Amino acid sequence: MDQTHIRNFSIIAHIDHGKSTLADRILQLTGAVSEREMREQVLDSMDLERERGITIKAQAVRVMYTADDGQEYQLNLIDTPGHVDFSYEVSRSLAACEGALLVVDASQGIEAQTLANAYLAIEGDLELVPVLNKIDLPAADPDLHARALADLIGDDPDHVLRISAKTGQGVKDVLEAIVTRMPPPEGDRDAPLRALVFDSVYDQYRGVVAFVRVVDGELRTGQQVRAMATASNFTAEEVGVMSPAMTPIGHLSAGESGYIVTGLKSLVDLRVGDTLTLAGAPAAEPLPGYREAKPMVFCGLFPVDSDEYPDLRDALEKLSLNDASLVWEPETSQALGFGFRCGFLGLLHMDIIRERLEREYDLDLITTTPNVEYEVATTGGDVLEVRSPVDLPSPNHIEHIGEPYVRCTMLVPQDFVGAVMGLCQERRGTFVTMMPIENRQQVVYDMPLAEIVLDFYDQLKSRTRGYASLDYEPIGLRQSPLVKLDILLAGEPVDALSMIVHRDSAYARGKGLVERLKETIPRQMFEVPVQAAIGGKIIARETVKAKRKDVLAKCYGGDISRKRKLLEKQKEGKKRMKHVGNVEVPQEAFLAVLQLDGSSSQ
Amino acid sequence: MNGGDPAGVAHLYVHLPFCASRCGYCAFVVEVGREDARDDYLGAVLAELGRERAVLGPLRTVYLGGGTPTLMGAERLQALLAAIRPLLAPGAEVTVEANPETVTRGLAGALAAAGVTRVSLGAQSTRPHLLQVLDRRAMPGDAERAAAAIRAAGIPQLSVDLMLAVPGQSGDDLAADLAWVAALGPDHVSWYELEFKEGSAIARGPHRPPGEDLAADLYEQAITGLEALGYRWYELANFALPGAECRHSMAYWHARDYLGLGVGAVSTIRGERRRNAPGLERYMAALAQGAAPPRTHDALDADTLRRERWMLATRLDEPLDIAWAGRPDRPAALDALAARGLVERGEGTVRLTRRGRLLQNAVVQQIMDFA
Repeated sequence: MDQTHIRNFSIIAHIDHGKSTLADRILQLTGAVSEREMREQVLDSMDLERERGITIKAQAVRVMYTADDGQEYQLNLIDTPGHVDFSYEVSRSLAACEGALLVVDASQGIEAQTLANAYLAIEGDLELVPVLNKIDLPAADPDLHARALADLIGDDPDHVLRISAKTGQGVKDVLEAIVTRMPPPEGDRDAPLRALVFDSVYDQYRGVVAFVRVVDGELRTGQQVRAMATASNFTAEEVGVMSPAMTPIGHLSAGESGYIVTGLKSLVDLRVGDTLTLAGAPAAEPLPGYREAKPMVFCGLFPVDSDEYPDLRDALEKLSLNDASLVWEPETSQALGFGFRCGFLGLLHMDIIRERLEREYDLDLITTTPNVEYEVATTGGDVLEVRSPVDLPSPNHIEHIGEPYVRCTMLVPQDFVGAVMGLCQERRGTFVTMMPIENRQQVVYDMPLAEIVLDFYDQLKSRTRGYASLDYEPIGLRQSPLVKLDILLAGEPVDALSMIVHRDSAYARGKGLVERLKETIPRQMFEVPVQAAIGGKIIARETVKAKRKDVLAKCYGGDISRKRKLLEKQKEGKKRMKHVGNVEVPQEAFLAVLQLDGSSSQ
Repeated sequence: MNGGDPAGVAHLYVHLPFCASRCGYCAFVVEVGREDARDDYLGAVLAELGRERAVLGPLRTVYLGGGTPTLMGAERLQALLAAIRPLLAPGAEVTVEANPETVTRGLAGALAAAGVTRVSLGAQSTRPHLLQVLDRRAMPGDAERAAAAIRAAGIPQLSVDLMLAVPGQSGDDLAADLAWVAALGPDHVSWYELEFKEGSAIARGPHRPPGEDLAADLYEQAITGLEALGYRWYELANFALPGAECRHSMAYWHARDYLGLGVGAVSTIRGERRRNAPGLERYMAALAQGAAPPRTHDALDADTLRRERWMLATRLDEPLDIAWAGRPDRPAALDALAARGLVERGEGTVRLTRRGRLLQNAVVQQIMDFA
């Protein structure tokens, strides 16, 4: 098709602002999906995604639309992941588009995520079409939010479309705006092939399937293709489009989006952001913007029952097939036995993986404190990447420690600005700027990522009654005076409870943690001291008192079987405990570290 | 070793399920009302006795429990005891459970005449506000009157049941119970911690059990208080003046065979545990037709029997004979427990220390693998 009749676009929206519903409605209105086939959120294929209302895997769907000018257009809807953890994927998806629908809930207004992705789109020179969704809601205030939305992108409030994706009202106008306001692609069909990989999935029968936007040249089934960054070579076994099911069409030319079945066996061989070219006639330069998605958050995952270790390994292998950003390596803990140290793009990514392991693979897991990757310069002149507190060298071997920082952008109702600033200060934030947006304040802080990965988001929500929204982006390493906080149970250090903390907050963290552990660890047959220590020096102590009474009240002839079964059941319950030395520690104790200092939570 | 007694089973339990009302904490097999069924029930129990009597040797102990056995009325109890009497060994212990409000002088006299040697009186508490929590029907003074009637009838031994860790119970409440025991002077006291059993009304109600520390305080107060009065803490929940231990209960804790008759009753005979099904009508109907009552049968393997012996015998203050009970699953645990002062080791014996007894549940789980 002539490039002037092609539009590649994304939908940008905050979680729950109705992106998936609008996408469904577009499919329906263009006849790509019949009424009968219509399901809620056709584009989100995994149950977990649907349950959480989050899109994890971007896909490209082609629909044909006959516009009011009587001409037929090819619209490629490139779906974007909806969470800050996946912002690199978002940037690649946007790079595949010339325009984007900026969708905002007419009752909620702009959120931090909207801002972040809108800025990404503006930076990428995309034509933004502002859309207010959910105007059918009683709480909707379209006039107010239209003005704010127009301000944000420097547009006229009258250009803001007002729709209800749920009822279908105004969706036709959205399609017209895509055709009339967004520019067509401008690739050179005669140049050597350059196709941007903006997503990939692993199919157990067909191998890696890449979703691409052809920028220059043409791609045909059977051609030899090279991925320029990873230097993988493969044959384009099938070239097609999603409409929305996979439909082979044999070729994609400049300006078009679609998929390629590569036959590659691992997602590691084909990374998002890479440029595909023809092995026989390669392009001189790849498309700009490629980087390897780097895990930001790490934690140990251990099976509660050590017999499940091989099952955990199998499950991680399977999940990795479809998730190139999940990294893992074996880890051994004195307390928890054999497990894996896993790296994730962010907290949500971590939660999703952990939940899938437990739900889809039926594993019982202990998760250790999440932490970030530190860069440690040793006195010997080495630079170490430290992903686990256990690997932190002793203080006298540390020259300095670099910790990853992020720039946090929060949108906060005026009344809660003080509370949010207080929270950011407690978490070692450095104030950057503040400016009003609509009736709220955009508050920007630079913060250590380590402070975000624990309970920052929960705290932010609880201190603003759920009204604040958060986005962040990495801004590199900064030197910090960090120390390793150890936890001792009955005098023995428990490696799985160690964490790396700022020197100044070590006492409060240690104190909060031992208090929490005291509440979580059940009484044992003997007194269990719970201590926090830095470099061998005890900084806080609590005691789990010894059990005073544990008897089965009475036991006569009629009770014997029942009592014995009670003991059997209690034994079964103890299997879910980890034996750390002589101390029986429940799973929850390893999560106690996540809930942090009670002192600062009020 | 299966616990079988070559001379035949020497311990008999008879379950008499009738109650005037169900107490809030009760999860036993009881029948509220149904006084019309008592004759048929007596007939059924006697029929079951006839069916099972071949396993019995001379009976050293008999225990009529419930329910409220005294609600059977003097005549039926006399008929039942008359059928049992020829089976008794010389000097046999014959216990009947009774609720204080049901014991009259007439009833006590009838029991004495029928050969009853011991009455266990379910007082539970002397404090009206706690009796109310427990849904008990007795009024202040009932227990004293019952005790007087039992003694006047010449029944040699009196035991009282009390409860601790009742919601709302304070140390002062427990001290009042102790003073009452001191004044009454029973031969034997059973002092149970109230259990919030699944299915009981109290577990569904608004009351919650006291915390571990308060329950432990009350338990220790009961133990030291009774010891000061001369009672020996011979089993976790039982206290006796010298020589007044309940011999029937001792048979359970020594893992001996016993025959249980009546609806819901449990027997353990030669490595088999069987339980008559609950359900009064089905029980009576089966026996009326000359059949065995509906039952479940469980064969207890050697490991289970061994673990049960440890579970039961460590409840007693006497040393456990390892040769009798069988090997511990985790012998090393015994040393660790000894090092912590929870058990004392003797020549082939193990005995729980006072602190060990308070933690008997945890201690026995360290020694044996219940699985």
